[in-house]
Amino acid sequence: MNSHVQRGAYLRQTFRAMGAGLYSAFNTNKTSWIGLGLFGFVVFVAVFAPWLAPYDPIDQNILNRLKPPSADHWFGTDQFGRDILSRIMYGARISLVIGLLAITGALIIGSAIGVIAGYYGGILDIIIMQIMDVLLAFPALILGLIVVAMLGPSVTNLAIAIALTAIPPFARIARAPTISVKQREYLSAGRALGFSDVRLMLGHIVPNILPEILVMGSLWLATAIRVEASLAFIGLGVSPPTPTWGGMIREGFENILDSFWLAFFPSMAILLVVFALNMLGDGLRDAIDPRLKDAG
Amino acid sequence: MTAFFVKRLAFSVITLFGVLTIVFFIVRVLPGDPALVILGDQASQAAIDAMRDRLGLNDPLFTQYLRFLGGALVGDWGVSMVSGRPVVEEILKVLPATIELTVVSLILGAVVGIPLGVWSAVRRNEVPDYIIRIASLLGLSLPAFVSAILLLLMFAITLRWFPVMSSGQGDTLADRARDLALPAINLGLIMSAYITRVARSAMLEVLNQDYVRTAHAKGLVFNVIIWRHCLRNALIPVVTVVGLYLGILIGNSVLTEIVFNRPGLGKLIVGALNQRDYTMLQGMMVIYTLIVVLVNLLTDLVYGLIDPRIQYS
Repeated sequence: MNSHVQRGAYLRQTFRAMGAGLYSAFNTNKTSWIGLGLFGFVVFVAVFAPWLAPYDPIDQNILNRLKPPSADHWFGTDQFGRDILSRIMYGARISLVIGLLAITGALIIGSAIGVIAGYYGGILDIIIMQIMDVLLAFPALILGLIVVAMLGPSVTNLAIAIALTAIPPFARIARAPTISVKQREYLSAGRALGFSDVRLMLGHIVPNILPEILVMGSLWLATAIRVEASLAFIGLGVSPPTPTWGGMIREGFENILDSFWLAFFPSMAILLVVFALNMLGDGLRDAIDPRLKDAG
Repeated sequence: MTAFFVKRLAFSVITLFGVLTIVFFIVRVLPGDPALVILGDQASQAAIDAMRDRLGLNDPLFTQYLRFLGGALVGDWGVSMVSGRPVVEEILKVLPATIELTVVSLILGAVVGIPLGVWSAVRRNEVPDYIIRIASLLGLSLPAFVSAILLLLMFAITLRWFPVMSSGQGDTLADRARDLALPAINLGLIMSAYITRVARSAMLEVLNQDYVRTAHAKGLVFNVIIWRHCLRNALIPVVTVVGLYLGILIGNSVLTEIVFNRPGLGKLIVGALNQRDYTMLQGMMVIYTLIVVLVNLLTDLVYGLIDPRIQYS
């Protein structure tokens, strides 16, 4: 009668159940909390970089170049006298923005492809998954290299390149549970009630596979940040003087013999955020994967 | 077995064909006129037109596509726009160095990763397990160039045990080994992190099986059960790792080669990108695809050797 209210209640219920599921997943594996804490710290630093950073990340001060770590410059200065700590703080923004853009895009597009392939099945499924397998066969970094070289290095283009490499895994992850959910009774019931395919997919399949996809998302965010840093290291990052971790390491590598801190501290920053995300996603995946429930 | 092989082969051919098609169109979409790249900015329009004609760039796209496919099949991948030498020749020159690096790293990864994974599974939720799990997670969080730089800082710059730059073309075997050591350790440790994790979870699954309980019950020695009965079954997923993580292995080998300034496919592709050497890029993509398709085919076949239960149907 009042289907909107019912639908709202249904969705609230679904999301509450999902939230509770995630919460208990966090508690099953305590390392997830540590990962979340570390990642939260990085996000905090990135968001408040303008207030937290002790110096301007771009201002050059030639008199102060290549200074080792000290009380004034905790992580030292680079070849232009720029404060490395401040550059790392600002660099976090680029890494996170590109990573989040790429993975959000890949998550939505990839899952949609997977759900559609799994839901409709047949020849469509075969064709779609064949294309995904072909894309998956290609090394991510090489694909990223070529796409960025093609489009030019900007935040959006880097996000597109990285998203392209991450779409196939999401399609795969979304497809398998779709096929099993499709055969459940409540879906036949929905179909009998005349629900449209779109409604069935969005309202009844997606909530079921969302926790798994979100966990994958945190793991792939780690990969995306790693790939972005790798591309920047190769020279295909967002153009200087914008600080990026990979770019800082690239510049620092030229001075590695006498000024190790240039490359060392940004390396630690990448390690911290990727490790945090892997800890977060890994713990959650173990907790929600029923096959591993007793294999913890 | 034959039917399975034919099916896998057909799939590989389709994949190869698909990627070749994508590669062809990607290279056509890249900005910049190849003729202009070869002749330089100063070239006259007439010279550029003549060069475009010679390169076949004025032919219909479909003709170019067929010519590209035909060439790819018979190993004619064109001529490098920068060096003027055949692409195949340039690739074959550095390919052994990359294969040497990746194969040695894979062996290293398996030698380190499999025992650690087994140990971690056997001592599940005890101190060794925690340490191994954290260490392996750390290993796969390290971008290859970061770990390479850390290794360089520690072993080549501080301790001076290894050369900072490896040429990869030492005269004696000892020279070659010294050159190979740090890059292979770098790539090998990252691979071992992946292998440890897969070996651990595969082992955990096997340890819960009935036949393992039977083996314990009939009084077999613990080590015999673990290493002879369990490991053989746990190895199956480990082999898939090679196929599954091949993309990661290739990406990491590119970064490793750059940091250690080692000749190989990695340095070749980055050079080709910087110099906009389109024919070389095209050839690089073809060779990477070939490697990926071949290795995946091989891992599927190795399956059957390890696990006679797998029905090739």
